[in-house]
Amino acid sequence: MYQQLYKQVTAWIPEKSRVLDLGTGDGEFLARLVETKKVSGEGVEKNVELATRCIGRGLVVHQGDILDGLDQYGEASFDYILLLGTFQELTDWKKVLREAFRVGRYVVISYSNFAHMRARLQMMFGGHTPVTRSMPSPWYHTSNVHFFSILDFQDFCQNLKIKEVQRAFFNQRGQLHWWPNLRAELAVSLIEADPESFSQKDADLNWRI
Amino acid sequence: MPEKKSIEGDLQDQAISEYRSDLGTTHTQIVTLPGMRTQSGYDLPELQISYQTLGQLSPKKDNAILICHALSGDAHVAGLQPKTGRPGWWDFHVGPGKGIDTNQFFVICSNVIGGCSGSTGPTSINPLTGKPYATNFPPVTIRDMAAAQTKLLDYLGIETLFSAIGGSMGGMQAMAWATDYPNRIRTCVPIASCAAHTAMQIAFNEVGRQAIMTDPNWRGGYYDEKNRPEHGLAVGRMVGHVTYLSEYSMHQKFGRKLQRPAKPEDLFPEFFSVESYLQHQGESFVKRFDPNAYLYVTKAVDRFDLLDGHSAREVLSAVKARFLVISFESDWLYSPEQSRELVKLLKRSNIPTTYLNLDTPYGHDSFLIRNPEFSRALNNFLIGEYHNLSKA
Repeated sequence: MYQQLYKQVTAWIPEKSRVLDLGTGDGEFLARLVETKKVSGEGVEKNVELATRCIGRGLVVHQGDILDGLDQYGEASFDYILLLGTFQELTDWKKVLREAFRVGRYVVISYSNFAHMRARLQMMFGGHTPVTRSMPSPWYHTSNVHFFSILDFQDFCQNLKIKEVQRAFFNQRGQLHWWPNLRAELAVSLIEADPESFSQKDADLNWRI
Repeated sequence: MPEKKSIEGDLQDQAISEYRSDLGTTHTQIVTLPGMRTQSGYDLPELQISYQTLGQLSPKKDNAILICHALSGDAHVAGLQPKTGRPGWWDFHVGPGKGIDTNQFFVICSNVIGGCSGSTGPTSINPLTGKPYATNFPPVTIRDMAAAQTKLLDYLGIETLFSAIGGSMGGMQAMAWATDYPNRIRTCVPIASCAAHTAMQIAFNEVGRQAIMTDPNWRGGYYDEKNRPEHGLAVGRMVGHVTYLSEYSMHQKFGRKLQRPAKPEDLFPEFFSVESYLQHQGESFVKRFDPNAYLYVTKAVDRFDLLDGHSAREVLSAVKARFLVISFESDWLYSPEQSRELVKLLKRSNIPTTYLNLDTPYGHDSFLIRNPEFSRALNNFLIGEYHNLSKA
């Protein structure tokens, strides 16, 4: 399911675009993008060991947290900013989004769907916080600080006047199109901001959240 | 003595009797080259450069790495010195299979001009007078040091460096290469360095310089060899040495331990181990360093400014080198914040820059100590970039 997600993201990104991968891990996906799509890619990764592996792949990587990484770049340095599996872990998502839209044109966000049917069943009948394939850690171990569903994310984008240019949903069997909020475990969206609501000045005033 | 067990800091200052280098004994040599004009407009009639090479230059001459030494370093970067048997100052990271792998790369390290370990400096003979230059030597800059290194490269028949790498002052030389000779360098690795000294960094160096210049033996720089301002230089080194360590590493090593029981002639009964250590550092440094050279080199570091009052666009738009910047979390002399400022400056000038901040607790000296994480990062970068280049 993750492989299909990565495949979809790869398909969305045109050749030779400029890509910044936030939370790039060991750089496997970014290296593949560089290889197959000839993108000029850079990564941000907090973990030294993982960042060092990125370096071994010949990638340009900034070791530090996401906000520190974004701060290194000037306006419109990238076409695509990737936040794959990291958005749920951000305590300061407002700053990150504003910075991401300052530095890049589009942002690609992938997340686990909290309203997937297995999660619903565990809540409904087990009375427990769900533990699923896409949310494998129990509540005391998870690094996620935000839990939301596909519908939640759509509302969120609407409130922030963010346009979902592309979206795709996945479960164990692959990509799916019908009833995603019930059936999908993972979702990924390619979003574009309304420039006004993300202007540096008074940004918070325009955000109704 | 605590320094016997220690693996911290500059290998030159360690009394390591059991140390074995994978390179065995290595040599430095001195070459006399045509002179150059310094940044301040003074013509040096000729240049002597002390240097060491390790490994083999590839047939395409594309694997040369220049290692730039820090304040108190010299050309002997790795391997054992023939006379003293002491290891080179970066033997932990330079050698076969090490961070900078001499099986793959041709390593060059030269002593900076203005120093005192074989290259032209204040102790050299002024051909006009037949006597040592002393303080008649022109002020040198980091860019002069890099310019002298280009002369050495010309002599060695190497047009382009694959990389210039250096810690602290060495990082500044590497950066000067990237800005001043953009077509002669592919990658640049400043480690625990910065774009320009802050007031505090200058202040520490000024304490050292004042210690030397107020030593009655200094005599305006024209001291004789038997009466050098050694006390001043030793005090300068002591201050410097403290700034290279961290509170953690000093406390780990010395705590509040006493060096020896009190003697009747002691003014104060407590003689702390850390005092003894610093005195030893000062004394051993005096044996291998010239007081005037200390003035010249510290001043060169203080004066260095990557932008030199120009805009980032003017200075950095021509740069072609790809950068790896490394800092150390516990380094309070060349702080990670300064490195991040440098990274920001480079990245915002569209220079591909990789940045690592390593969590070692040993302060500024972290780049000199044994550290597998650091070695691997350096190695990965060099191999990765060399591979990228051969693909291109």
